[in-house]
Amino acid sequence: MPQKEALQNAAESLQIGGLTRKQLQKLESKEKTKKDKRFEAVTLSLPILCGLIAVAEYLYIPDNRPNHDPHMYLYVLFGFIAAYVIYLVVALIRQAGGESAVYEKVHYKAPRYAALFLLAALYDYLTLKTGILTQPFVPCMNFIICAAVGDRMMLWDCTIHTLLLLFLGYSIGVLLGLITGIACGYSKRCRYWVDPVINFLGPIPTSTWIPIMMVVASSLFGGAVFIIALGSWFAVTVASMTGVHNVDKDLFDAARTLGAKERQLVFRVAIPHAMPSILQGCTQAMGSSCTAIMIAEMLGVKSGLGWYMTWAKAWASYDKMFAALFVICLIFTLVTKSLDLVKRHVLRWQTGVESNG
Amino acid sequence: MDNEKVVLELSHVSKSFAKIDTDEVTQAIYDISITMESGEFISLVGPSGCGKSTILRLVAGLIMPTTGKVTVNGQEVTGTSPDRGMVFQKPTLFPWLTVEKNIGFSLTLQGRQKEKAGRIEEMISLIGLEKFREDYPNQLSGGMAQRVALVRTLINEPNILLLDEPLGALDAFTRMNMQDEIIKMWEKRQHLALMVTHDVDEAIYMGTRVLVMDSSPGRILADIPIDKALTRDRSSDTFVAHRNDILRKLHFSGSAAG
Repeated sequence: MPQKEALQNAAESLQIGGLTRKQLQKLESKEKTKKDKRFEAVTLSLPILCGLIAVAEYLYIPDNRPNHDPHMYLYVLFGFIAAYVIYLVVALIRQAGGESAVYEKVHYKAPRYAALFLLAALYDYLTLKTGILTQPFVPCMNFIICAAVGDRMMLWDCTIHTLLLLFLGYSIGVLLGLITGIACGYSKRCRYWVDPVINFLGPIPTSTWIPIMMVVASSLFGGAVFIIALGSWFAVTVASMTGVHNVDKDLFDAARTLGAKERQLVFRVAIPHAMPSILQGCTQAMGSSCTAIMIAEMLGVKSGLGWYMTWAKAWASYDKMFAALFVICLIFTLVTKSLDLVKRHVLRWQTGVESNG
Repeated sequence: MDNEKVVLELSHVSKSFAKIDTDEVTQAIYDISITMESGEFISLVGPSGCGKSTILRLVAGLIMPTTGKVTVNGQEVTGTSPDRGMVFQKPTLFPWLTVEKNIGFSLTLQGRQKEKAGRIEEMISLIGLEKFREDYPNQLSGGMAQRVALVRTLINEPNILLLDEPLGALDAFTRMNMQDEIIKMWEKRQHLALMVTHDVDEAIYMGTRVLVMDSSPGRILADIPIDKALTRDRSSDTFVAHRNDILRKLHFSGSAAG
């Protein structure tokens, strides 16, 4: 490969230290054989192939039951195939420009995408084509997509409600949890009073409060916020308390000799040092909040995606129920992912030499 | 640079620690009196557990003496101050701050924002880590981390520099390099340096005065002035004579160790 030779020459004439990390990796990596390259090409085209298989399965196997608006599912399938092709093209262009990170990612994930298309085909076969999965309780993809599109205003409304409730409860809980947790981690007197509260409330799962909330709270929305906040408060308090409590005493000594006052020890040493633990607590709190919100909406609150699911079930609209399920999956994934991104950014000091690229 | 003259005095200082699980009390140091002043580089040598580090922590103001007094220019030490800087055996850098921010930490605490950037620059070039300013401590080698820790303390221009075995965890070459670096900085500023070490050679090579200590309870066995003109060469006769003398005082046979 001439490019590699050029790199090698550059490395020798300059200095090894002048290389970037990526150039170094390229220089040290083995030359790909023809067989490797062919195998890579097959892997990369696999999702497109499997996508077309899913399309063929849908079009050419006769339906077991009547299918309205049959093109909706096809739009989505082609949409996903097109998205993959664009992704692949971008990756190939980037790679040609010497930036192989995107390409590596596509190559790594391609088999998974392919499996997803095959799964879709299998699901369609088991529902629409044969009815092996009991109809109409497990609707086929086309029905679910049609339901989601047809009822999109309502779903959107419910999503907004769920997110609003989630963030209101979660942020109140996290904020109060940080205050109590940090105070307790640092001050013995504070721990003396909060410890029994935590020991008493700790073993009670958050959802246990829902029936009580339904009786006591004047507004169900307010009650749900309270329950979500309580769960988050608990998780964050415990995590930040341990985090702050376990601060390396040597760091305190060092900060003191550098002139830190008590307040500065808390804000400039204890809290940053406890950050990994605190963020762990925030992730845990998000998990418990998501559970609590679904239960609250299914049992009492008269809006949101959880309510939508029970409502759709009551009307025997199973397609809508599944549509809501997909929306729930999507938004909770997004919420968890963004929390993860925040975490990775704040804790970038924990990663080693790798981040030094 | 301000060269305020300081006199550090320990008068009849004893320090005992209560053990956590039993009622016993260990006496770390007993009735120690020493006077030190600017321009001196004092090495404290002795076996482990002889209270060398305790003396440093007392001077730093991290702990208070059980009896006796630690004074700087006649004023009793009641707490820590950036004017009495300390470098620990572990670098104790703040892992969440970059090299730059670690070095500037003390100025940030004191709200000295204006001079910060310039002072940090000065300190970074002093240790030659320009390329690593944006790095986090866990990306540094042990020697680099300890250099950063050193200038993180020096940025305050302390009149008293306390070194608690700062080179103990480093390999032999880095160690010798850093010995010279520390001496160079000290020669330039002529502050009072007080260093704890296990290494007798290091104590003689760096110090203008070596305090030999013995354990249980910690006390000073000997106070040996060192002529710096004669001991910068580790193989000179004076150097070897000092080493034999100190080792003998610490109950090691001089000829065998020399």
